[in-house]
Amino acid sequence: MPPHLEEACVESGVTTATSVNHPMPEPVPSAPPYDEMRSVEGLVRPHYAALETRIGALSPAQLAERQMALERFFLLQGITFTVYGAESTTERIIPTDLLPRIIPAEEWSRIEAGLIQRLQALNMFLADIYGEQQILMDGVVPRELVLCAPSYRREMQNLFVPHSAYANVCGSDLIRRPDGAFAVLEDNLRVPSGVSYMLANREASKRVFPGAFRGAGVRSIDRYPDLLLSTLKSMAADWRSNPQVVVLTPGVYNSAYYEHAYLARLMGVPLVEGRDLVVHENFVYMRTTTGLKRVDVIYRRVDDDFIDPLTFRRDSALGAAGLFNAYRAGNVVICNAPGTGVADDKAVYAYVPRIIEYYLGEDAILPNIETFLCREPAQLGHVLANLDKLVVKAVGASGGYGMLVGPHSTKAERGDFAAALRARPDNYIAQPTVQLSTAPCLVDSTIEPRHVDLRPFILSGEKIVVTPGALTRVALKRGSLVVNSSQGGGSKDTWVLDGGPEGVRP
Amino acid sequence: MMLARVADSLYWIGRYVERAEHMCRLGDVLLNATLDRTEAANQVARITLAAAGRPDPARIADPYEAAIPLAFDRDNEDSITSSLAGARENARQVRDQITTETWERLNLLYLRMTGPGAERAFTEGSSGFLNEAIADLHLFKGAADATMSHGEGWRFLMLGVHLERAQLIGRLLEVCFGEDRAVPLSDHFALTSVLRMSCALEPYLRVYTADIRPKHLLEFLVLDEEFPRSIRFCTNRIEEHLSAVSRHAEIAGHSSPDRLAGRLKARLQYADMTEIEAAGASGFLANVLDECAAIHDALYETHVAYPLELRLPA
Repeated sequence: MPPHLEEACVESGVTTATSVNHPMPEPVPSAPPYDEMRSVEGLVRPHYAALETRIGALSPAQLAERQMALERFFLLQGITFTVYGAESTTERIIPTDLLPRIIPAEEWSRIEAGLIQRLQALNMFLADIYGEQQILMDGVVPRELVLCAPSYRREMQNLFVPHSAYANVCGSDLIRRPDGAFAVLEDNLRVPSGVSYMLANREASKRVFPGAFRGAGVRSIDRYPDLLLSTLKSMAADWRSNPQVVVLTPGVYNSAYYEHAYLARLMGVPLVEGRDLVVHENFVYMRTTTGLKRVDVIYRRVDDDFIDPLTFRRDSALGAAGLFNAYRAGNVVICNAPGTGVADDKAVYAYVPRIIEYYLGEDAILPNIETFLCREPAQLGHVLANLDKLVVKAVGASGGYGMLVGPHSTKAERGDFAAALRARPDNYIAQPTVQLSTAPCLVDSTIEPRHVDLRPFILSGEKIVVTPGALTRVALKRGSLVVNSSQGGGSKDTWVLDGGPEGVRP
Repeated sequence: MMLARVADSLYWIGRYVERAEHMCRLGDVLLNATLDRTEAANQVARITLAAAGRPDPARIADPYEAAIPLAFDRDNEDSITSSLAGARENARQVRDQITTETWERLNLLYLRMTGPGAERAFTEGSSGFLNEAIADLHLFKGAADATMSHGEGWRFLMLGVHLERAQLIGRLLEVCFGEDRAVPLSDHFALTSVLRMSCALEPYLRVYTADIRPKHLLEFLVLDEEFPRSIRFCTNRIEEHLSAVSRHAEIAGHSSPDRLAGRLKARLQYADMTEIEAAGASGFLANVLDECAAIHDALYETHVAYPLELRLPA
């Protein structure tokens, strides 16, 4: 039987360098959120000083004008998502905030080390569970938790994945806890999106704050597209001298289509749809004007279920029939590998610190959020007793569905959830309500704090690289903790500083 | 090398952009000509509406009411907004293949034409509104010419432009000279208006002077070698682009769209105006339009929707 998660966390916390990583034994919802710009005493943190001076010098009208310039930039570039209504379809831009979020160099180097460590361990975990399953035999992670997870793909068993790089593109969601430490809220190993907003936000903020940007010493994120391309090429480079890479999109009606086209354009590779691909005798070809051309690496932005109607969902028209067999035969590489979702499963998440320790013999640099597994009777008891304080999530669900937010729930809702928890405890986990940190945002021409998270992007092929930047998602409603773009969330540029001696200059 | 689907989209961007421009011009001529209350003005209105594919005589009574759907009706697939939406939708699908400069021109125009203020701007000054749209479409083509690589993708774009243009001019001339026309085209005002619809008035005057005759008009719009909207000029470009595309395609032998375009090119090059007149322009025009349609079909069969069995590796 695996140890209780609290114990696991405490164990990993003991040996880490700073004491702030100790998880709190009981959730303390009253702790004020961490303010990215100001310390508790109300002083502006040094890395925000230049920006503070700059925006202090601008009148509300000037700020509003820059905000409009920013929105025009997005609209003109076509960085929009489509809202389908009953009468007509309209295109909107993702709300974008003018003021960048700033992360000092020393904080970033810790985040970077933590992300590399985590993805390395998760790739090893995937290679193991789709191979020898040593970790399951050693009882570190419960066997049924992994093998019964809906995202586990039996089809991937014993399949060779170059460099054991299963999750080639990973976008982890980090949050900053009230004590100032970053923690991982979620790993996204399937088809993480948002990187185009990271790049587009940067383009835009260079236009609207050129002076502050130049002075701050912001690390460049321009290399993301070519790093992505070389990561993808490294997946087939051992047997194809110049691999043909393509981006596979579900099509123009997908809400992330802009991103697919953007990445294909910046990498200079074809953007294909399922109907452009043909599989013949376990080789994958694309239909070109000059006939069929072989494809070696597919960066797919289509979910596992839809990539091959012969192997996964039969009613899918988004993939290519026979693609998975070609993959098994080693004639094409699918990135990310199918079945990576099992490692970002909400229940497996709770074991990640243990997984890191098991494979790397190290303590997790970035801690988890404390998580209670309802499958454990003792933890279930704790969850049932504290339903009004906890967030309960269904393991298989995402996007805020099947979720109970304790502090905002009614007694009847808690009663329903308690019944559901008792009926299928293994389907649920619970976490304390997390106070996201706040960053200054421009709301109706005034600057107000809003809750933010942080999604950096990590690439893994022959080696693991973290781009020094991230998508900062913003909950634009006052007090709201929901940063999803579908629920009133926006985004803003994220400046990772290079740690030059003077820091930020005006 | 490019995806067949991408080539298809680029081709249709070209067609839709050309169609939108033609519709702008028809709308402009319609509203301008009908400022006069003459029989000639009514004839021009009939021609524009027939060329726009809406030959409904009842509409001529109120030209402004007739022009609105020409510009904004999304249910009419040939309207300006529908054409622009089609072009933009295709451009969005191949956003990775066209330059940002090109995309921005098209996107901006689309956003303006479909924005909330568009119909009001049209009401307040239709001529200015339509001419601005035409100028924007010229900017789009200019941006494509100046920023896109003149490779395969650009050639498919240009194939769309020129094939659509040849067919639009052909259809306009069929309305004027075809068998089912109501009155023979002879009035000076009507002839001038037809030249305006094809953006040909000034170039025509330089060749034939202000002595405007139906025969010369037909000759100019069908057989002139230098005027960019004559069918012959378009055919020459189609033939050029097709032979370049087939060179990219490395398809052995004489590919069939290539051959069809070459044949049409030769036919127009050696055509004799007197013979055409004697045999009736109507038959000749119908023939040319059939050939254009055949080129479109052959293009599809060779480069876009080819049967897979023939292309699989042995």
